[in-house]
Amino acid sequence: MSPVVQTRDLTKRFGRVQALAGLDLSVAEGEVHGFVGPNGAGKSTTIRILLGLMRAGGGSASVLGGDPWADASALHRRIAYVPGDVSLWPNLSGGEAIDLLARLRGARTTDPAYQARRRQLLERFQLDPTRKGRTYSTGNRQKVALVAALAVPADLLILDEPTSGLDPLMDAVFRAEIVGAAADGATVLLSSHILSEVERLCDRVSIIRSGRIIETGTLAELRHLTRTEVAFAGAGLTDAELAGLAARLPGVRDLTVGDDRVSFTVDAATLPGILPVLADLKVQALTVAPPTLESLFLRHYGGPSAAPSGPEEAGADPAGAHSPQHRHRR
Amino acid sequence: MPTLWPLLALRLRRDRVQVPVWLLSLGAITLLAGIAVPASFGTLVERESLVQIAVGTPAILMLRGEPRGPDTDALLFFSLFANLATAVAFMNTFLAVRHSRAEEEAGRSELIGATVASRMVPLLATMLFGALASLAAGAAVALALVAAGLDLDGALVTGAALAGTGVVFLGVGVVAAQLMRTSRGANGLAAAVVGLAYVLRAVGDAGGTPAADGLSLTSAWPSWLSPIGWGQHTRAFTENNLAPLLLAVAFAGLLVAVAVLLQSRRDTGSSVFAERSGRPAAGPLLRGSLGLAWRLQRPAILGWAITGLLFGLLAGSLGETVADLMEGNPVFQNVLVGLAGGRGAVIDLYTAALFSLVGVIAAAAAIQSMLRARQEEAAGVAEAMLSTSLGRIRWLFDYLFVGLAGIVLVVAAAVLGAAAGLISSENAADRIASVLAAGAAQLPAALLLLAVAAVLVALVPRLSVGLSWGLLLAAVVVGQFGDLLDLPQWLRDLSPFSHTPAVAAAEVDWSGAWWMPALAVLLTAVAAVGIRRRDLAL
Repeated sequence: MSPVVQTRDLTKRFGRVQALAGLDLSVAEGEVHGFVGPNGAGKSTTIRILLGLMRAGGGSASVLGGDPWADASALHRRIAYVPGDVSLWPNLSGGEAIDLLARLRGARTTDPAYQARRRQLLERFQLDPTRKGRTYSTGNRQKVALVAALAVPADLLILDEPTSGLDPLMDAVFRAEIVGAAADGATVLLSSHILSEVERLCDRVSIIRSGRIIETGTLAELRHLTRTEVAFAGAGLTDAELAGLAARLPGVRDLTVGDDRVSFTVDAATLPGILPVLADLKVQALTVAPPTLESLFLRHYGGPSAAPSGPEEAGADPAGAHSPQHRHRR
Repeated sequence: MPTLWPLLALRLRRDRVQVPVWLLSLGAITLLAGIAVPASFGTLVERESLVQIAVGTPAILMLRGEPRGPDTDALLFFSLFANLATAVAFMNTFLAVRHSRAEEEAGRSELIGATVASRMVPLLATMLFGALASLAAGAAVALALVAAGLDLDGALVTGAALAGTGVVFLGVGVVAAQLMRTSRGANGLAAAVVGLAYVLRAVGDAGGTPAADGLSLTSAWPSWLSPIGWGQHTRAFTENNLAPLLLAVAFAGLLVAVAVLLQSRRDTGSSVFAERSGRPAAGPLLRGSLGLAWRLQRPAILGWAITGLLFGLLAGSLGETVADLMEGNPVFQNVLVGLAGGRGAVIDLYTAALFSLVGVIAAAAAIQSMLRARQEEAAGVAEAMLSTSLGRIRWLFDYLFVGLAGIVLVVAAAVLGAAAGLISSENAADRIASVLAAGAAQLPAALLLLAVAAVLVALVPRLSVGLSWGLLLAAVVVGQFGDLLDLPQWLRDLSPFSHTPAVAAAEVDWSGAWWMPALAVLLTAVAAVGIRRRDLAL
């Protein structure tokens, strides 16, 4: 089965700025694919090329088996899109905008099925369709675009940070709708900053950095690439025990002895080897957390040192692996 | 293309007020003039003397067109067509940019482009809509002419000529939208092309060859370079020649092809002329809201000032030509002798008459600057400004000050241009002093209109943009064309331009120079109170 979205060595340049530098993205049929990366990494440019709104500078892209630039109209019949920054017509109501976009995707707005679906979505998203475009808040504009995208069934949903303006309740509605669309067989490409959302929704994730995909796979696969976070209460331990920790825990990195928590990271494979040590120390309030997408993300963007509040040491330097840091220990 | 119809319907729905207002205005002006001209110039003798004056006066020719005999219908076509065509041209360039580049700038074209309509159908829908609007404008004017009792054939030719000119400027608008990154830039470029077309036509008519009887004129070659000139060359009512419209159709076709080609090749949101990157840090002028207002309006004011300069130069350098023409014409020789001051007085009269348009340009520059405040408010950036220590009144007045600067700069540039044109006249110092007075005389009306715009922004923000431009247009029509339309005196007195002191006249009424600025100050105070009391209208 050929992928729904496939790009090879995709490039795009804006003047002196290289927006995409050989991007290889592959989205399989029926999956919810997370597309994550920082601002300016090339997410929106990629999406616009996939929609035929921009032309690829080099490389190739195929969407639903077609050329996104040349076959744009035919492909768009099967695609629904929610832009990141939704702008509506100031003197048209939200309901008018939804129907217009539905018609432009080939739906008949008199169709009872469409009307039922539209009514259902308006209810779920608690959207008033009678208000004029200029009076909607950011979140409500986003809801209009979401309702328009979801009201007509699509084979491929392309969502560019669709929930940045939604409140948590609406966020839950959105997730339920995406799960429903995927269950109906739709493929979803979800670009997002909200990593917890990607973790909850996506089957596979691609991480983009400086116009390239640097990591792609299921969350489980990606987790193998990074380390498990272990933490426990330091209260019951003596200073000598704490000082000797580093020597007793081989393969451990980022060892931090904080005010009342001790934490470190460890490869998934080494984890069973250190558990007896922790048991011997009778540690309390032990947490063992598999890596989050956030930690994956931070690792790829320069490691924890890139985060303002994190410890100094990045996992990449082996020399620092056994040097615990003592912070404010009382 | 099943998506063409919904996109056309979208355009019709969005412009459900705007375009009908244009069409009704065009029809109403035509109908008024169609009734007024036969009423004011009932006899052949009256019309003959009117046409003879026109043929002998380049300034009239520049502002009107190409006279083709003393018949009522020919006179009407001569005095109306160029100005109607300019109005249709602006209707269409604004329409084209509003439905193409402005949509791209706002990001809505992305929403549409991701549907089956894709990249090309929205452009096709915009062009179809513009073509329909052009035809409707032609039909409205033709209908008004027939309603005024004029010949059907001539009315239809006039309508066709208007539609043809309109379609060309629709093409200009869609190409400008392809070339420029912002709708503001595209509108500016398209307006410059409209202005160029008007000037080419004006120069062609002013430099035309009069017939032996002095009752008609054949315009010179520059008129053939102007789409407005092509429409005029149909010579509706006298010759009813549709052939020049082939030029319009061919040129419009070329422009459409260019736009389609560019649209099919470029990225959504990109433009042929890319935007330059800005400076990394704010310069010393960008200190507060006044610096911001100036920075935002600087390019526009510069454009208005250049227009003023060119207009002044034209007025100054043509004065001598007019005096020569009048001296060579036995009919006017007597008028010239009868005038106190002789040749110099004729030049003064002529420049002063042309300077009434400098007042209009200055008022337009001022109103645009004032309305920038409203646009900043609607775009939401004023919210950010006003949530700082900046006060409401200070914020509003900063745009008022920039408008004031616009008035002064436009008038100064026009005076400078006229002075440059008159520098080689005999008694140049007297002439330049007269031009200076003519320039100063334009200030009060422009100030009043600026203050009116400020009050509208302060009191009725949502309506202020449409109302301000509408009032300017009404003031121009009533004040400058009131005699042509035979409007009652009380109505003409409502236009500030009617109270601009006529400095070159024998007895100058200076009262307007005092009460208009006084009223402007009063209105400014009302605006200051109003802006403090209302909510921000986002």
